Amino acid sequence: MNCNVAIVWMHDYLDGELPRDDMAALKTHLIACPSCRSRFEQLQQTEAMAFGMVGSGMDAVLDEKQSALLTERIMSQLPAKRAGKPNAFAAWIRKHPAVTVAAVFAFVMLGSFTTMWEQNTQLSVSGTDLAQVVIEGNTVTIPEGARVKGDLTIENGKANVLGDVDGNVTVIDGQLYQASTAHIAGQTKEIDQALDWFWYKVTQSISKLAY
Amino acid sequence: MVKSLEARLARLALKGDQSAFAEIVSLYQDKLYHMAYRMLYNRQEAEDVVQDTFLRVYKNLDRYDDTMKFSTWIYRIATNLCIDRLRKRKPSYSLDAESSEHEGLDGYSMIPSDNRTPESETLLSETQRIIHQAIETLPAKYKSVMVLRYLQDMSLQEIGDVLDMPVTTIKTRVHRGREFLRKKLEHKL
Repeated sequence: MNCNVAIVWMHDYLDGELPRDDMAALKTHLIACPSCRSRFEQLQQTEAMAFGMVGSGMDAVLDEKQSALLTERIMSQLPAKRAGKPNAFAAWIRKHPAVTVAAVFAFVMLGSFTTMWEQNTQLSVSGTDLAQVVIEGNTVTIPEGARVKGDLTIENGKANVLGDVDGNVTVIDGQLYQASTAHIAGQTKEIDQALDWFWYKVTQSISKLAY
Repeated sequence: MVKSLEARLARLALKGDQSAFAEIVSLYQDKLYHMAYRMLYNRQEAEDVVQDTFLRVYKNLDRYDDTMKFSTWIYRIATNLCIDRLRKRKPSYSLDAESSEHEGLDGYSMIPSDNRTPESETLLSETQRIIHQAIETLPAKYKSVMVLRYLQDMSLQEIGDVLDMPVTTIKTRVHRGREFLRKKLEHKL
């Protein structure tokens, strides 16, 4: 047996982890090799001495009085009262990180949508053909006899349709008046609810992506 | 599953039962002190570490995980505190070098007094003194492993759990640490 292997086995033996078969092999090597034998003896003695230090040394062990003093010191420094279970909520959050993240995400999204919803108080008119559209204050008028080609979208304003519209008319957060002379070729839609508005925004952005 | 005594005490202490916590203290205080003393070789610091350990245990009782042995948990806290202190001692100054700030004083006079008479040390047998010195000079990463192994009689697996390291690493450190001690003791055996 190689001496280097024997040294590793010596340590394994002292750790109590050397298989029985190897023990026999190590023994034969130790009988044959004097330098390994003396090393093994030294290691065994070291081990015995190290284990023997338990309970030795004056400062290393507290006597009864010192021990009682230390206990007193430890107990007196503890925060006076544990406030029962103050952090049941915090503990729950710590245990369910995924739910917490989802809730925070939903909260932030909801917050940003509501601010978008509330901030949008300015009149905006969009459409393919706005040449004949008359805007006064927050009222958008399509005069009698005028003809708007394509769709018309009005946000935060009143739509007063007297003439003809070839496409759809969508009014968000506002009202739509149609005179008897009006003629809208496409669909008319009024959106007041947050959910409708949200859905409109989503479908709009998706259709924008599609084209 | 039958809960260990410590786990039950921890639960009671969590509910605000101070005497249950006192029970935990009495179970571990002396063992922890002994270990801390062997790591730090300073009585005051060892007592401070024990005190800090229990304070942390108390504050974090709600985070104690039943699947881990209570002793593993408390030793982990204590060894980490000891290792922190050993690290903070660096850079180490030579005891024999004269201090530039305090003239005429060398490092020995700066060591907090242990309020122990030198005679008490002579009560130790020569071999005990040698082994103590040898362990004291071990580098920190071997010291923690060796102290847990010899003082607390822990298995390699338990040491691995306490130090949060793989068993193979612990094994290597035990082997190297043992060789280190052997070389230190070689001339004296």
